[in-house]
Amino acid sequence: MGAAEKPVPGDTLIGKRIAKLDAPDKASGKTRYLHDLEVSGALHAKILRSTQVHARIVSIDTRAARALPGVHAVITAADVPWQRPIGVGKDHLPLKTDRVRSLRDEIAAVAADSEQIAEAALKLIRVQYEPLPVVATPEEALAPGAPLIHPEPRGAGEGPQLKTAGLPVAFAGKPDNIAMTFAYEQGDVAKGEAESDVVIEDVFRLHYVTHCCMGVSGVIAEFDPGGNLLLYSNTQVPFLHKREFAELLGIDPARIRIIQPPIGGGFGSKLDIYPFEPIAIFLAKITRRPVKLVFTREEEFLASPTRQPVLLKLRSGCRKDGTLTFRGVETVHDNGAYTSWGATTPFVMMQTISSLYRVPHCKYFTKAVYTNNPYAGSFRGYGNLQATFAVEAHMDKLAEAVGMDGLAFRLKNAQDPGEVTPQGMHFKTCGFKQCLSTAAARSDFLRKQAENRARWSDPGPVKRGIGIASMLHVGGGAKIYPSDGCGTILKVDDFAHVTLITGASEIGQGSETVLSQLVCEELGLPMSAATVVNNDTDITPWDVGVHASRTTFIAGNSAIGAARKAKAKILAAAASKSGIPEDQLELRGGCIVRKDGGERLFELGKFLRGLHFSDRAELVMTTFYYEPPSKHQDKQFKGDVSAAYAWATQVCEVEVDTQTGIVRLLKVTGAHDVGRVLNRLGIEGQIEGGIVMGQGYALTENLMVEAGVVRNPSFRDYKLVTAPEIPEMDVNFVETMDGEGPQGAKGVGEAPAICIAAAVANAIHNATGKRITALPFTPENVYRALHGAAEPPRWSAAA
Amino acid sequence: MSANCDIAFTLNGVKRELTVPAGMSALEMLRERLGLTGTKYGCGEGECGACTILVDGATLNSCLMFAADCDGRELVTVEGVAASEPGERLRSAFVASGAVQCGFCTPGLMVQAAHLIERHHATDEAAIRRGIEGNLCRCTGYRKIIDAIAAAAVAAKEGADHGRR
Amino acid sequence: MLPIQTYQVPKSLEEAAEILRASNVTLFAGGTDVMPQTRAGRVKLQPVLMNLRRVPELRGIDEEGGVVRLGALVTITEMLESALVRDRLNLLWQSCDHFASDQIRNAATVGGNVCNASPAGDTLVPLLALNARAVLAAKPNGALQVRRVPLTEFFLGPGRTCRAPSELLAAVEVPLPPAGFAGEFYKHGTRPGLDISAIAIALGARRDGRVLRDVRVAFGSVAPTPVRAPRTESTLEGRTVDAALLETAARTALEEVHPISDVRATDWYRRELIRNMLKRVLTHVCQL
Repeated sequence: MGAAEKPVPGDTLIGKRIAKLDAPDKASGKTRYLHDLEVSGALHAKILRSTQVHARIVSIDTRAARALPGVHAVITAADVPWQRPIGVGKDHLPLKTDRVRSLRDEIAAVAADSEQIAEAALKLIRVQYEPLPVVATPEEALAPGAPLIHPEPRGAGEGPQLKTAGLPVAFAGKPDNIAMTFAYEQGDVAKGEAESDVVIEDVFRLHYVTHCCMGVSGVIAEFDPGGNLLLYSNTQVPFLHKREFAELLGIDPARIRIIQPPIGGGFGSKLDIYPFEPIAIFLAKITRRPVKLVFTREEEFLASPTRQPVLLKLRSGCRKDGTLTFRGVETVHDNGAYTSWGATTPFVMMQTISSLYRVPHCKYFTKAVYTNNPYAGSFRGYGNLQATFAVEAHMDKLAEAVGMDGLAFRLKNAQDPGEVTPQGMHFKTCGFKQCLSTAAARSDFLRKQAENRARWSDPGPVKRGIGIASMLHVGGGAKIYPSDGCGTILKVDDFAHVTLITGASEIGQGSETVLSQLVCEELGLPMSAATVVNNDTDITPWDVGVHASRTTFIAGNSAIGAARKAKAKILAAAASKSGIPEDQLELRGGCIVRKDGGERLFELGKFLRGLHFSDRAELVMTTFYYEPPSKHQDKQFKGDVSAAYAWATQVCEVEVDTQTGIVRLLKVTGAHDVGRVLNRLGIEGQIEGGIVMGQGYALTENLMVEAGVVRNPSFRDYKLVTAPEIPEMDVNFVETMDGEGPQGAKGVGEAPAICIAAAVANAIHNATGKRITALPFTPENVYRALHGAAEPPRWSAAA
Repeated sequence: MSANCDIAFTLNGVKRELTVPAGMSALEMLRERLGLTGTKYGCGEGECGACTILVDGATLNSCLMFAADCDGRELVTVEGVAASEPGERLRSAFVASGAVQCGFCTPGLMVQAAHLIERHHATDEAAIRRGIEGNLCRCTGYRKIIDAIAAAAVAAKEGADHGRR
Repeated sequence: MLPIQTYQVPKSLEEAAEILRASNVTLFAGGTDVMPQTRAGRVKLQPVLMNLRRVPELRGIDEEGGVVRLGALVTITEMLESALVRDRLNLLWQSCDHFASDQIRNAATVGGNVCNASPAGDTLVPLLALNARAVLAAKPNGALQVRRVPLTEFFLGPGRTCRAPSELLAAVEVPLPPAGFAGEFYKHGTRPGLDISAIAIALGARRDGRVLRDVRVAFGSVAPTPVRAPRTESTLEGRTVDAALLETAARTALEEVHPISDVRATDWYRRELIRNMLKRVLTHVCQL
């Protein structure tokens, strides 16, 4: 892999290896993350969490804690009767009132002069519980007579919109433990099944993993004397959260300002509001001091949202000529005790089920079920890893059943540019087949697959396998909110320095660098000419947030729009001054030049100063709001929800030691349809990181939840992939030049993590003849599967 | 109540004197008492390497070290590494190789990498991978970090060779 | 932050022993076990916290009279970089290469690893196989006294040893194995070092063609302490290693281990690993 290059002035920046703008400060230790910020007069907060998985709270005695020197406030739900429920399902009160429903539940909180005093105060809080039966699985939750996780509150009146005086609950409780359901249909699966020559059915179990951002969660809340709230938050959706916090606190959203310090990783973990944030705000309000709350790593494991665990039943079929006929999917989602984004992963899962490869008939149903387990949130890929794991297992099995090789079978069913899927997704650019062919060719897939198979009865215990899988994900935003847009404010100053003020947040993925790159490309300026402002809701224009791999596409188009307006203004003035028509002028190498021949006419800085200090006194300041031309889905979940779609194929080569179950990932050959490579260095980094995250999901990471208890809340026993374990990576790009994408680019942030586990599963089968349908492929799990000592996932009858 | 200890040590080349509670970790001392926030809290258990510093020329996890044990020793943090000439070369390599994304793990890796290069343990791919096995990164997949360290090791060797001629 | 009443930094072994005699003390050297365990509440801090790192008698790797003395303060890195350990105590050296991370190895000490007495302690398994002894120092009646305890008797249970609270581990002594002694340390995990082993095996012997003599077998993570496997050793001692003997040895080993199920592995899987990997290690050592 090459290093960053110094672009030649006048040469295009697109496709080059551009160093990340904030990297020098980060590598020097200068960058101040939220944890590093010192706010004058700040108190330190800690949260008391439940010691019971499911229990009634009988009493909370905070007297001793309050009396501890250095403690400024100790609060429970009784101190904040005005608190409102948070979260996607609005079923989650920050401080619990009458009961706890999971081990992470927040019961009390302390603000003190130091972290140490706050921790000591927590130990002095006495809580009396009356244990309730633990509902450890969705199956238990759905059994007749199961305890209700969210029963009606005491003193409830009638009707679903409860607002009983003195009882801060707006969530009425449900007659059963079902949090949400999703149903989708296209065509007629019964017809599809009838037309099939092969029908297969399997149950897949996808497990709990967690984000493990290297920077733990935290927040700093500060009210000014006028009651305006300043929040230092690592939210990935600052404008949405501004509005939500305002609703929570019953204040005007205009009185909330969110500043986003540099973040120690996001990956989707910061797309919802979690109790610790309102709790810090409550403490700031009550103490009238700034309050800083930072998790410990153990707390991060115990209290952060996880990836959505899924039990999935897939029934699919094809004709003997290899064309897919139908897919029928039912899933049970363990919703945990409260509803966060995990419950909504069906939005994405159904897209994969309905449209990853061409399938005329499809039926999909999810039941998200309350339990006393940790709740799941959004996590890079957002349900797509789980759905792809099932779909790509069946692609291999169906291919085998009809006697076609896995590549030919996939190519036969892969879509072409211009197709519109039955779910309404319009694949304007589509590099699916090139991804398949490229990855298979470069990895020598077919030959190795055959060779490995031939070695199944070889005596040695170590077997090699190769597996292929593809993914489909949105690549041009996702119109799930009223707007999927992003605003940009841009100025070019007297010295041809451009300031780009964007609503798009930087979460480590390099958005600030790629946006600068796009703007500098338009204006013919070097990267050093750009400054990005992107972290203050008082300054930056609205953006819906960092999710759905949308930032390069949407914020990129927004930045280009503002830059083009600036360019038009400059060239119009240059045309006026030079007498040369605008369409014969260009910005290049820091100058205004003749398009043909490149003759330099004006040096840009000097020209702008001339504009400024003239009678016209013109400054170059522009704005642009970009809304992608995608559609909201209708009530049947159909619609062209993204402005572009992206594909990737990954081929994974593994080595399986059948005497220990250890699976080593040797090599990943990937081909990604990214529209166009913008920052080659940045996009490689995203893909390499996504591959290794996928490797962790497949092989090493396992958040062990038993009866509501996280058994391994530490890096010692929750295994992230380390440097010695990474595979050789051969990353390839397919540039389909998307018409709507900025310089032709499509989104890629989530893609590389999505189909690794699916490809590894197929590789393990190629190595051993064994198809394992439950993750993770940890040594013991694989060993058991290989030696007939594993129970394959069972579809829950109660579901 | 906790006993306090008077300690005197060298930090990034400068002599320091401090009184610290006996139970305080070196990491807490650096961040809370000395305002050096470059060294990060990642896990507090020695599993992630985000708190890596140099003590008497060898790296260790400052979250596991008692601050009191700094007495009489030489500490170098990422701030000190970055200000050194080899550190500047290393930083350039990290930046040029794309080894930084969110950057939270980067200070720990800069210090560990500086140590590996100085001890001639960054000799090849396998050695570098083993050398950073105690540093976790969630963003980059380590590939470009390894490339950066390899590039910096080559530059260091060329610098040394050049100096010898 | 941990509440500590008194912090002591003795400058000699006598001074350290004297403090131990007079008070209840938590000892530390690198702190790589004491710091996380006390902060997590898994180990209770005593009123006195004693830093051993300034006691010079606890340093150094020396060989005298056929015995290698590893001072308690010798770090894992020092053992890795020692030609003596690498060449003459290679079984121990292998475990040092599979020990956590560079940062931990630079601070962690052999004395700390031994006194922490984890059933999964990486150096403990080869030390047992090498017939190592703990050298304990104390000052019960005004004079420094030293006693030696074979490691096979030193470990009593997870985190428990026969070191009395007033005693200090001064060194670990390892008799040089006979000429031609070679072996293999196997640690189960997906990473080179940073795993807590699900099982560990240290096997050493003198190879005489395909006959093994002076056989030592030790296991980790399959009992409350790391253990020698004397019956397994007997099945192998002086016998020609063939497929049948591998089976016998594996079967015997399974009788000598008592693995439990925990968050890292089930007892069933640990037994499978012992069986499969003992055979594999034997195969390697015999160069079959």
